[in-house]
Amino acid sequence: MNLACSATVAAVLALAAATAHAGRSCENKPPKADAIQRSMLLAEHTAQRLDQSGAQVVALARIGQNLSEYGVRYSHFGLAYREPDGRWRVVHKLNQCGTSHAAVYRQGLGEFFLDDLYEYEAAVVIPRPDLQARLLPIVRDNARLAQLNTPAYSMVAYPWARTYQQSNQWALETFAMAQEPAAVSRERAQAWLQLQGYTPTTLHIGPLKRMGGRLTAANIAFDDHPNEKRFTDRIDTVTVDSVFAWLNRTGMGGPVQTIR
Amino acid sequence: MKSIRKIALATLLASVFATAQAQSDVSEASALSALPIAVSVAAPVVVLSAGATLTVVSVQASALGTVWVLQRASDGARATLTLSGQAARALSVGAGTVVVVTAMSTGWVLSTASEAIAFIPNEIGAALLYNERVTR
Repeated sequence: MNLACSATVAAVLALAAATAHAGRSCENKPPKADAIQRSMLLAEHTAQRLDQSGAQVVALARIGQNLSEYGVRYSHFGLAYREPDGRWRVVHKLNQCGTSHAAVYRQGLGEFFLDDLYEYEAAVVIPRPDLQARLLPIVRDNARLAQLNTPAYSMVAYPWARTYQQSNQWALETFAMAQEPAAVSRERAQAWLQLQGYTPTTLHIGPLKRMGGRLTAANIAFDDHPNEKRFTDRIDTVTVDSVFAWLNRTGMGGPVQTIR
Repeated sequence: MKSIRKIALATLLASVFATAQAQSDVSEASALSALPIAVSVAAPVVVLSAGATLTVVSVQASALGTVWVLQRASDGARATLTLSGQAARALSVGAGTVVVVTAMSTGWVLSTASEAIAFIPNEIGAALLYNERVTR
């Protein structure tokens, strides 16, 4: 048996509901070994940098698609935190296969980057230690993570409405809930964000593009935007870049650190 | 049995990458189209060496998922891989499919000519993987 190095492999089940896709047109593009390698390497580097930072909770972003047309670099962020065993987890909201529904997940850094990235670069903003301390019990508590979640999803949801909620908006509102004890509802979290000077990104999206978006994609809607803005092609929404700029401007968070 | 090494590996099928996102307008979210699939693997460690070419001997459904038996051409060493659920079924892998092993710092990737079909994390990779749905 000298050659037989028997590898017993334990299974870890991390299966979420594949059933959600039943009947949906969810076109699956086969991944390449190279993409997995690069994503996992980015996850590994991110874990190393986060370990070195001494932080307990950070805002972590990825580049899932090219948004340079809108002057936006990062497409998506979540709240990453350190577990007692030293592993990093990310809580974030994901839209399911282009549907109008989204849910909150807790994932490893691997899954966070094992998504069809446009560019293999991560960005981190480290909140002030007192803000981290208020975030930590929230990110570990599923009931609190669900508290401000609205399943109805539009990728350009209006920041000051409650009809829809996109991913970055959920993360931002959950951040607000952690910082302000009175922010127990989306409305109150948004009021706190306004009071703290958060300003969303204004996207300039013309009528044809708006129409196209609504007609062709279940996960894009404009009907929650005020008419006076919508009809002047100004679509306000929560972007990673606007959140990072706000955290930095208010002293709530440090500068953006990039990881490759 | 002094030479027996026990390695605990969590295996994840990193199957499908996201997708269907209409890349129109602005989006911050990605679609979770591909679900990490947990599996178990029983294999001589040598089978998982970089550049190894394996041939799928059989594909069978089991209570736990889909079981692939892979064999290395050079010496007949075999590996058994269990992939849970739906993503495995969606793959067009059958007897005779040739699979190549790519080694990386976080584990191994198994690929066919056109696509990656499974990721077997080592200890570093396993620490980076976790998936839990928090809300419905």
